Amino acid sequence: MTFLSPLYLIGAAAAAIPIVLHFLHRQPEVRVKFAAVRLLRQAPVEDTRKRRIREWLLLALRVAALVLIAAAFARPFFPSAHASQAVGATIVALDTSLSMSAPAQFEKAKQLAKDAIRRAPAGDLVGLLTFADTAQATSPPSADRAVALAAIDGAAAGFGGTRYRAALSAAGQMALAAGAANPTIVVVTDLQASGWDAGERVGVPEGARVETVDVGAPAANLAITNAEARGNQIVASVRNAGPARDVRVSLTIDGKHAADAVQPIDAGETRDVAIASSKGTEAVVSVDDPAGIQGDNARYVVLDNASQPAVLVVTTNGDLRRDAFYVQQALSASAASAGFRVEGVAGSALGTMDAQQLGAAEAVLLMSTRGVDAKSRALLSEYLEKGGGLFVAASADVDGDVLSDLVGGAMSESAVAAPAGRTERHLAPIDPRHPVLQPFSADVATLGLATFRQIATLAAKACDTIASFTTGEPAMLDCPVGDGRALVFASDLDNHDNDLPLKATFVPLLLESIRYVGAGHRRGTSFVIGETPPGVAPRPGFATLTTGRVARRVAVNVNPAELDTQRVSPDDFQAAVARLRDAGKADAQLKSSDAEGRQRIWQYLLAAAIAVLVAESVVSMRTA
Amino acid sequence: MALDPAVVARLGTLELRARTIVEGFLSGLHRSPFKGFSVEFAEYRQYMPGDDLATIDWKVYARSDRHYVKKFEEETNLDCHVILDVSASMAYGSKGITKFAYAQALAASLGYLMNRQRDAIGLTAFDDRVVAALPASSRAGHLHAFLVTLEQLQIGKSTNVSKPLHRLASTLTKRGMVVLISDLLDDPGEVIRGLKHFQFRGMDVIVFHVLDQDEIVFPFERATRFEDLESGDEILAVPALARGDYLKAMRGLIDRYRRELGGAGIDYQLLSTNQPLELALLSYLSTRGRVL
Repeated sequence: MTFLSPLYLIGAAAAAIPIVLHFLHRQPEVRVKFAAVRLLRQAPVEDTRKRRIREWLLLALRVAALVLIAAAFARPFFPSAHASQAVGATIVALDTSLSMSAPAQFEKAKQLAKDAIRRAPAGDLVGLLTFADTAQATSPPSADRAVALAAIDGAAAGFGGTRYRAALSAAGQMALAAGAANPTIVVVTDLQASGWDAGERVGVPEGARVETVDVGAPAANLAITNAEARGNQIVASVRNAGPARDVRVSLTIDGKHAADAVQPIDAGETRDVAIASSKGTEAVVSVDDPAGIQGDNARYVVLDNASQPAVLVVTTNGDLRRDAFYVQQALSASAASAGFRVEGVAGSALGTMDAQQLGAAEAVLLMSTRGVDAKSRALLSEYLEKGGGLFVAASADVDGDVLSDLVGGAMSESAVAAPAGRTERHLAPIDPRHPVLQPFSADVATLGLATFRQIATLAAKACDTIASFTTGEPAMLDCPVGDGRALVFASDLDNHDNDLPLKATFVPLLLESIRYVGAGHRRGTSFVIGETPPGVAPRPGFATLTTGRVARRVAVNVNPAELDTQRVSPDDFQAAVARLRDAGKADAQLKSSDAEGRQRIWQYLLAAAIAVLVAESVVSMRTA
Repeated sequence: MALDPAVVARLGTLELRARTIVEGFLSGLHRSPFKGFSVEFAEYRQYMPGDDLATIDWKVYARSDRHYVKKFEEETNLDCHVILDVSASMAYGSKGITKFAYAQALAASLGYLMNRQRDAIGLTAFDDRVVAALPASSRAGHLHAFLVTLEQLQIGKSTNVSKPLHRLASTLTKRGMVVLISDLLDDPGEVIRGLKHFQFRGMDVIVFHVLDQDEIVFPFERATRFEDLESGDEILAVPALARGDYLKAMRGLIDRYRRELGGAGIDYQLLSTNQPLELALLSYLSTRGRVL
């Protein structure tokens, strides 16, 4: 028998209390020489032996009641035979990210992984997984080590980023699936610091031991971390993680060599190198670094600006400078890097667009429904149904009926001022893991800096509330509509009802919201590996992305974060591994909880405790 | 002001105790207890200097021209027999005084008072037999003997009230008064029969039923082992459970004595050891006044 909440068993120690009291308060028997004993004979009297037995019975009943209550609270259950048969396991997680792809680096990693397999305790199951942005179980845990060794031989480094969380979670799941009680997880990696997201903690199974095998820092490397078109130039950011040298940067446009530039770069420095561009669609900026990581020697850029998708901002007049100044500034500042254009359109003009024109938009930011007629509503609904993204700022210019039509549910919207005597109302995330709010997870408090003077009350059964106000009202709803998605924000974005546009969180919050709603209809021209949309291979280069009837060329580059060669120490790595072992614990807890829930032994124990207490009361009355 | 029996019990000799009680009691009475006293003429004798002039018989002087004084013999009003229970059950006491000590003081006080009234006083102490007997007398110095005998009494064994009563009743020939001081923890039927025997012999009977307050209210709380003072039998009882039945039995006993003795014309007085003895003395005087 085992217990779901064994800590409650400590309460059983309380059983010692009546025992101690019994012996401490054991008073000498009261004896009285009495004259009228003859009259007492007519009253109920006690037999000494019976009384002593009753006292011991009373003590036993009290102890039993306390033990039964403690046991009931500890929620006992009989574990299944399967659960008790635990085996040992060693799971080797081999880092196959881009940073491991330098010549000789990955060969060394494979050798260290093989050593880890051979070193595994006899009798342990041995498994292998490879990881970069995601983890793949290359060789499930088995007693045959040759399988794992062969899997290591077949492994190759790719272009992905490093994600330790994915590796450890997958390793934990593999160990749990194999029924391993205390697995050893060996992570063979170059200990790249960017593999840990800021503030990220990972759960591994209870009792699991995590070892790191350091492959060592990559050799001297030259990398292009970014490239973008600026006017008639292509500007490339080149990082030199090797000795100081003169770096030659080459530009190729549409497959033809266009220009070169030579730039001296000191050791450890990053320099922007500008190269004159010519007309064309696809530009490749590259450096020559045969000894370093090959995947970061080139950067791909799509030059055709006309193909950049637009974010349509619907306002009363369509004049963004007048109707949506802050939104225009925020989106324009980031449009180039985010890969979209910003266009303003009046509500009354929305109806003049056709479905194809609207369908080309990455997302629609609805700031006013004035002039939005039935045709426009139908157009927007169709756009959403086909995977479009809509972000609604529910200001006083937005009509609740239009909102209800668009999100397809019962959406009520009415303006609400700040509660009487209370002017402070701030934003508070409900689901910090939501893609819109996740970038703020390291410092959630920054979201609460904005003060909201007036808000709209929102309610829709089909929507999830991802953020609320500190006064309790929903602040941001996430509503799936057909293949598309709508985000509804319960205030305006133009510094009327709140001061959010004046806060540093405004731009990232707006951009993340646009990116999120536009994800299903993404029109960007640049993707990094790990975030590529379906149909685009996760390898550097150019690809054709087809959405609806529109096909366009997009650039795929390695994740710049992966090019950061900063490392963590093994100790820091261990510190990042949460000791709480949430994942395994939660899984085991779930199984235990199921078993306990089926057996419900606690109910019988509690019933027994109640019966014992009743018996104790009866005996106690007779023993007073 | 009534004296606390426990305080009186701490006074030195029994005689002192008795005198303190009685004198204090008498000083508080408005009516003289000596009324009704009678004396008988004994003889004449020649006047001697120092004799009370009031005692000179002026008629004899007129006839004989000599001064004679009348010499009276004090007449005993009653023979009073104090029958004192000294059985082991009388040894119980809870508030600084045992029933025995209380009964001793009561007997002494009664003896002292009787002596002051020129009554002849006798004493019989018993447990299951007669352990001390002092015939009734009003001679000078008898009170002292009465008190000494009383003082020398020790707690005896088990009670058998009826046997000494029958025995004493059969020996008494002269009309008088019997005072029984006992806790009466015996068979009530036998006790009442014994007392009626005295009545049958023409005696007036007064019963002082002496009980400790604990025996009347049974104040015990914790489970207690009660040991019988006479038989040594033990009973373990939970007072909370036993109290009701005990008090019912005790009330039944008292009520029976009060009812049956009252019905037979026998004075019955329940005394708790925390009650002043003056109450008993008053009861005695009341009975005596009725007898005379």
